[in-house]
Amino acid sequence: MDQNPKQYPVSDPASDPLLAPGRRRMRRAAVLSVLAGLLWPVQAAVVAWAVGGLLTGADASALKAVLLFGGVGLLRVVLGYGAEAQAQAAARAVVTAARARIVATEAARTGESGFGGAGSLTALAVEKLDLLAPYVTRYAPARARVMVLPLVILALAFWQSWAVGLVLLVSGPLIPVFMALIGLAAKEASARQMAEIGTLNDFLVERLSALVDIRLLGAGDAVLGSFAAQAGDLRRRTMAVLRVAFLSSTVLELFAAIGVAMVAVYVGFSLLGALEFGAWGGAVSPEAGIFLLLLAPEFYQPLRDLSAAWHDKAAADAVLDEMAAWQDEPRPALPGTGGPAAHLAGPASIALHDCVTPSGRALPAIAIAAGERVALVGGSGAGKTTVLRLMAGLELPDQGRVIVAGQPLTAANADGWRARLGWMPQAPHFLTASLRQNLTLGRAGDLEAALRTAGIADAVAALPQGLATRLGETGAGLSGGEARRITLARAVFGAPDVILADEPTADLDAATAQIVADGLLAEAARGATLVVATHDRALAAQMDRVIDLGHLA
Amino acid sequence: MTALWAIFRLILRDQRSALLRGAALSLLVLVMGAALLGLSGWFITAAAAAGLAGAGAVFDVFRPSAMVRFLALGRAAARYGERLLTHDATLRALESLRLRVLAALVAAEYLRMIRVRGAQALNRLTADIDALDGVPLRLMLPLIAGVAAQLLALAVLWILVAPVVAVWIVAGYLVGAALIFGGMARVAMPLSRRAEVAAQAFRARLIDLIRARRDLAVYGRLTAQAKDVMAAEARGLDLRCQLDQAERRAGAALGLLATAVAAGALGIGMTLVQAGRIAPGFAALGFFAALALAETLAPLRRAVADLGRMADAARRVRRDLAQPLPAQPLHTQPLPADTDGGTDGASGFALRVSGVTLHRPGTSLPVVSGLSFTVAPGETVAITGASGTGKSTLLLAIAGLQPLAAGQISLGGWAVADWPEADLRAGLTLLPQRSTLMAGTVAEALRLAGPAEDAHLWQVLAAVQMDGIIRERDGLAARIGPRGEGFSGGEARRLALARTLLRHPRILLLDEPTEGLDDTTARAVLQGVRQLLPDAALLIAAHRQAETAFADRVLALS
Repeated sequence: MDQNPKQYPVSDPASDPLLAPGRRRMRRAAVLSVLAGLLWPVQAAVVAWAVGGLLTGADASALKAVLLFGGVGLLRVVLGYGAEAQAQAAARAVVTAARARIVATEAARTGESGFGGAGSLTALAVEKLDLLAPYVTRYAPARARVMVLPLVILALAFWQSWAVGLVLLVSGPLIPVFMALIGLAAKEASARQMAEIGTLNDFLVERLSALVDIRLLGAGDAVLGSFAAQAGDLRRRTMAVLRVAFLSSTVLELFAAIGVAMVAVYVGFSLLGALEFGAWGGAVSPEAGIFLLLLAPEFYQPLRDLSAAWHDKAAADAVLDEMAAWQDEPRPALPGTGGPAAHLAGPASIALHDCVTPSGRALPAIAIAAGERVALVGGSGAGKTTVLRLMAGLELPDQGRVIVAGQPLTAANADGWRARLGWMPQAPHFLTASLRQNLTLGRAGDLEAALRTAGIADAVAALPQGLATRLGETGAGLSGGEARRITLARAVFGAPDVILADEPTADLDAATAQIVADGLLAEAARGATLVVATHDRALAAQMDRVIDLGHLA
Repeated sequence: MTALWAIFRLILRDQRSALLRGAALSLLVLVMGAALLGLSGWFITAAAAAGLAGAGAVFDVFRPSAMVRFLALGRAAARYGERLLTHDATLRALESLRLRVLAALVAAEYLRMIRVRGAQALNRLTADIDALDGVPLRLMLPLIAGVAAQLLALAVLWILVAPVVAVWIVAGYLVGAALIFGGMARVAMPLSRRAEVAAQAFRARLIDLIRARRDLAVYGRLTAQAKDVMAAEARGLDLRCQLDQAERRAGAALGLLATAVAAGALGIGMTLVQAGRIAPGFAALGFFAALALAETLAPLRRAVADLGRMADAARRVRRDLAQPLPAQPLHTQPLPADTDGGTDGASGFALRVSGVTLHRPGTSLPVVSGLSFTVAPGETVAITGASGTGKSTLLLAIAGLQPLAAGQISLGGWAVADWPEADLRAGLTLLPQRSTLMAGTVAEALRLAGPAEDAHLWQVLAAVQMDGIIRERDGLAARIGPRGEGFSGGEARRLALARTLLRHPRILLLDEPTEGLDDTTARAVLQGVRQLLPDAALLIAAHRQAETAFADRVLALS
């Protein structure tokens, strides 16, 4: 991932297509929120009338004042509630649409994202996307209020007293200038903080999967130490973001406080008769004084709301940039959908013509007939895994052709081809689900028979919870040989026409390796085509044919 | 709630003085805010009254207006200080909390350690602890400061304005807020707890999808998994919708409460003035103070929306922290020194296993019973036996990760259980059957075993016949992908072995060390290990001829 925030494109969240799902509701929220804000001057007028009445001795009715003030207040609350409902709905729509996009994209591509590991990506999809919600619910309505309310209040202030209007007019525009400056700093600090969160998550995910190694190597203290250092770094970056945010709101508060104090002092002096200028008729009336005092803080309030939400915007900016960085990355698409499909008709044969490895090394032509048993051998990097992935239709070749069941493998028939496969990867990842679900993966079939073929039925029966056991991600809870035989059972479950196995006997003792080999051979005896990529000569010797992919020069 | 309180006490203990100062400052902010608005209202009204009465010349304008300016500036400054202080203190407290949870995981029992799923544990360390920042920042400090400010206002308004106004405002706010928060907490707590469960499900399923996407694609399960991920999101969305609504309702109720309290303060004040009991200025003071005190409610609103999430996270984190740490050995006698290792005289440790019975991890099924043997320094012993006969369990027991059902294991004359953890790890290393390399460079992966010079790294790489392969790539800077990607099984195995050799153990336990290697390489690797550690006691769980042939003695388990 690009760690340098300066290279991120400068974007305006408001126009980002990711926000499109919430845009209409955001507009409605803005309108309602402005309307609610416009009711405050009405309430202020009621108070001014009531208190002014007390001073001048006019017989103002307390009940009338309470009802008017309360009634308008109720209306304001209702409008605010509506605005919030719209904004929250918009935020939910935006976040959930972005999540759906991440899930759909990750399910449609093969290969790891250069953006980061599962930890980084999950952090983006969960915690970071959540940061878009405050932008939608707080920043966007505040921005709408800033456009309207200060102008309205300024007009009202000028109507009552040009001096007060002038105070507001002068102090108001300074605020956006300061905020723009501070906002620039905030975004950069935010982007650095985001990057740090992703790195820390990846650091942790790796260490948490290696707890036993860490313990055995006596590396616990060292790991804790470097985690403490990284966490400290993240805290400092977070505080840098917060400091800027707090500073911006403090600057604003200062301006607002000075403005309000000036208005209060001017109005006070004017009411005492010490100042004879500023209002259109000489000095301000008591009613106008109260009215102005109540309006002055509200002149600054939208700006303060906006500034309080400024780091929501900075965070949203940073998240949108990360989303863009993740999306822009070109990755090969998964041929087909990865969903269930009807079996592709034709013989269970596979051929590769003129294909190359990702590093550009040419692969030999390979033709495997239905029912054949073939070993792929060759040094590291010779392309054994690439060949298996091409055969499995997990990737389409950049060059050359893959022929399966007598027809070229394409995105259109990849699902149907894969439906005929059994697949034994080198390093299995067990899902957060029961062993049974990990074995069947939603398919129907004879599980007992598959477990027996893989020679694992007794070991599974001996597990404390049997097939309901939940395993660790890499199969912790089973021995290495047992975990391998589970992937074999998963591969033979459903009686596939073709079995592709990547190093099926690596890291197994001779007896266990033979159990796995026997399981694979039993499938071949049933008529399945068998392709194993292997270093294991004993296994290769049991195949009909060995294809040597050679060694890297 | 008890978990929340316990976590708050942990945080408070960690950052007591900063948090107390922060609480004092946030009280100050609230008080100054109320004073500012109340004083301004009084000032203007009283000034108007004085002006109308023609007494403007004798009215003291300077002290109140100076006060107004002081309060305005002081409030902004106090607010800045309070925010910096409390946020910094909270982040520091959470950081040490995180470290404690990680430390508990690193020192956990073997069975718990292998069951840790990266994704869930990551949740615990990130999302859960992040959720706890609200405990001091949005719950406890605002609650304390808010209640204190209200009580202070009660006293001040009682004296300055009128008891009835003071009681109306403060009782109105306190009782109203308590009712609203109580009601909302009852609705929101279970909702946000369930929303958190949905978020965790989303996270775990997404990690599964990303990590296992090829397997899922082959088995036609990828679209179903994507659907499952989105089903968790849909469930979360529905709950967030209900939560948003509860939060919005509470917000509206609080808005109404503030309006009602202010309107009442206005009405009561007006009635008192009209009855001639107080001056108009003080009626204005009461009303303006009521408006300002609404600020004490605002921060609590979000806290209640998050209460369920916080309480849940607090409970899980507390449970993690409460896991018993392995008992530390009690004896403090000096450990055997290098040269007089126990009774064996050579410069190394003997490993002695006497009458040991073991159970399969996590069960009470015996796998090894009444086993006795010795491995002398410099000796190599191979244990053989089919899968499931307890080879790995025996090695784990020797490494102190697996309890003994009967018998004793001693290293250099001391029982394994008596060794302090650090000394045990310094003297003994186990290469487990499955070890994980971490993403990063080869040098970084090896240095997990401790700091080492480059030359030393090359030395251990040469011992496991990996120097050539590494040199062909980018040398020590060659990248290892997540979970050892980019290296074959056999290469990854040898890197893990090289890593254990860096520890220079005096007792080395190897669980099927040469798997994935051809016979020639396997023999060369074992030779390399022995050359590097001539005096070490070597115990190998072996399953192939190359390993048993290399051993001085073979011990068959059945």
